[in-house]
Amino acid sequence: MRDMPALPPAVAVEDLTKRYGDVRALDAVSLAVEPGEIFGLLGPNGAGKSTMIRILTGRAKPTSGHARVLGHEVPRELEAVRAQINLVAETPNLYVRSSARENLELFCKLYGLPGRRVAEVLEQVRLADAAGRKVKTFSTGMRQRLLLARALLNQPRVLFLDEPTRGLDPQSARELRDAVTSLAAGGATIFLTTHDMTEADELCRRVAFLADGRIVALDTPRELKLSLRAGAPAADVVLDDGAEERLALDEPGEAARLHELIGAQRVRSIHSREPTLADVFIALTGRSLEDGQ
Amino acid sequence: MSPRRILAILVKDVREAWRDGRILVLLLLPIGVGVVSTLLNEEKLPTTRVAVVDQRDGAVTRELRRLAGTSAKLELERVGDAAAARRLVADEEVDLAVVVAPSGAPRAEILVGADASPAARSLVELVPIALARAAGQEPPARPPVHVVAPADQSPGELIGANFDSLFTVLLFVIFVALMVVPMQTAEEIESGTFGALRLAATGPEILGAKALAGYLYGAAGVGLTVVLTGLELHDPLLFCTAVLALIVTLVGFGLLLGLLLPNTSAINTYAGFLIAPFVLLAGAVFTFDSAIGGAILDVLPFTQSVKLIADSISPQEPFGAGPLAWLVIVVWALAGYVILARIASRREL
Repeated sequence: MRDMPALPPAVAVEDLTKRYGDVRALDAVSLAVEPGEIFGLLGPNGAGKSTMIRILTGRAKPTSGHARVLGHEVPRELEAVRAQINLVAETPNLYVRSSARENLELFCKLYGLPGRRVAEVLEQVRLADAAGRKVKTFSTGMRQRLLLARALLNQPRVLFLDEPTRGLDPQSARELRDAVTSLAAGGATIFLTTHDMTEADELCRRVAFLADGRIVALDTPRELKLSLRAGAPAADVVLDDGAEERLALDEPGEAARLHELIGAQRVRSIHSREPTLADVFIALTGRSLEDGQ
Repeated sequence: MSPRRILAILVKDVREAWRDGRILVLLLLPIGVGVVSTLLNEEKLPTTRVAVVDQRDGAVTRELRRLAGTSAKLELERVGDAAAARRLVADEEVDLAVVVAPSGAPRAEILVGADASPAARSLVELVPIALARAAGQEPPARPPVHVVAPADQSPGELIGANFDSLFTVLLFVIFVALMVVPMQTAEEIESGTFGALRLAATGPEILGAKALAGYLYGAAGVGLTVVLTGLELHDPLLFCTAVLALIVTLVGFGLLLGLLLPNTSAINTYAGFLIAPFVLLAGAVFTFDSAIGGAILDVLPFTQSVKLIADSISPQEPFGAGPLAWLVIVVWALAGYVILARIASRREL
């Protein structure tokens, strides 16, 4: 039995550099995203995440290096992949004087798709009832769902999401994350940029940290947290008298104290405190993700 | 370039313009100015009062009105008989009366007041033609009439009453090319929808659709202006090609403005600076007579287009603009679109 030939990476970037004047937005970045993977590119504002997406979607030219999507060099061979990629942008770039249906019909025509796709994706994002309403009357969550619907029109093999949950309420953010997970389960590759570490931890199989235009770490969220031992394991304990204590579990004395409290039945609640991706990022760069660059 | 994608974006642009109050005002304002100006000029025309005795279906009245056209303002009054018509002329209630024979047309009697205006007297010349046409007959043959302008008449005087309509046409094209087109382009870039389109279409397709939208607004608006202001065209083919050349050239520069100015607010802010030079240039074409000034105007596509359009309106062809005018326009238009393509490519929109 012959081995199946390995599929090329859905997204591959080699020594990618993008300069705007004297500013290096991306500095010799290399990474590869496998087909069907949810990949997260994390970093603070101005780290170069949106520049990376602009290059990968063919809207900016690299200063040097290579960017390939589905095996095609972008932006040079963009026509070959145009119909197989899509993007949910950071800004709600919709035609607000048009209805949801008109917004989607335009892109349906641009992609040369049958008109029925409009109704299908509106149903998929639960906007069928608002199809005829002008977008200017939509809430932020509805606009974000319409952006997702537009990105799903051409059933992309690679979907780029640039800060997709920014400004959304928790319920809308949850719905969007569920939709992304379901897309990946269907075989689509998801390339996500975010500065929300919890979101990345929950969604992504692998993440890369981008700071000052460079990749400073790339691995699974679990490995990143374990390998760097960023933040010692600890337990936050609330006692029966309401007092709170944080006990470091790698300190023998504090571990014994935890045993003692449990034995004396004085513990009302206990929560383990594990290192987060945000802790890892701070340990690697000395900055928090909320800091702009 | 995909015609399907260009058409889809063009339809979207026109729909968005229709729904954008600012764009609608920009499109309707010059036409409104033109219509009001035409109405005001119409009031200036001398009114000729005519009594008509016509026992039949009023065909003579209709033909008389049609023949007078826009050159005279007629106030027509139908009266019962010749005696009543004579009384009205004698009392100077009307300038003249036309008494059509009850049968056996074309025959009529014309009654003219002793102090009738020159306009009323010239109208007398039209009565036999109106009678013949009303009877379904060929009007009497007339030798062709050529108006010979005095040697010292300026181009503006040669354009005459059509000057306001010409100005409206120019104003409309300026508004479309330097306000509407840049505003739609800048808004698209500002709101990020240009970037969304770039995912599904190429930059040249998007800009091509926007240029076509500009041409469409321009052509439709100029057509409407011609109809509403009653602009008389001496050479309709020259008028159409000259107007189209002007629209195509200016829309290219309009797209360039849309790419270069940061947002729609900037376009609103600088609108006066954008429009005023063109209005001044249009005026300069009719007033400058110095050699240096004339030479400067000769190398500008806008002023050459104005000359060609003026030539198409007046039988005297006040500028006699020829191949040089077309060459200047074509060179500028090509240069504008080449610069546009280079900037659009560098902007990474």
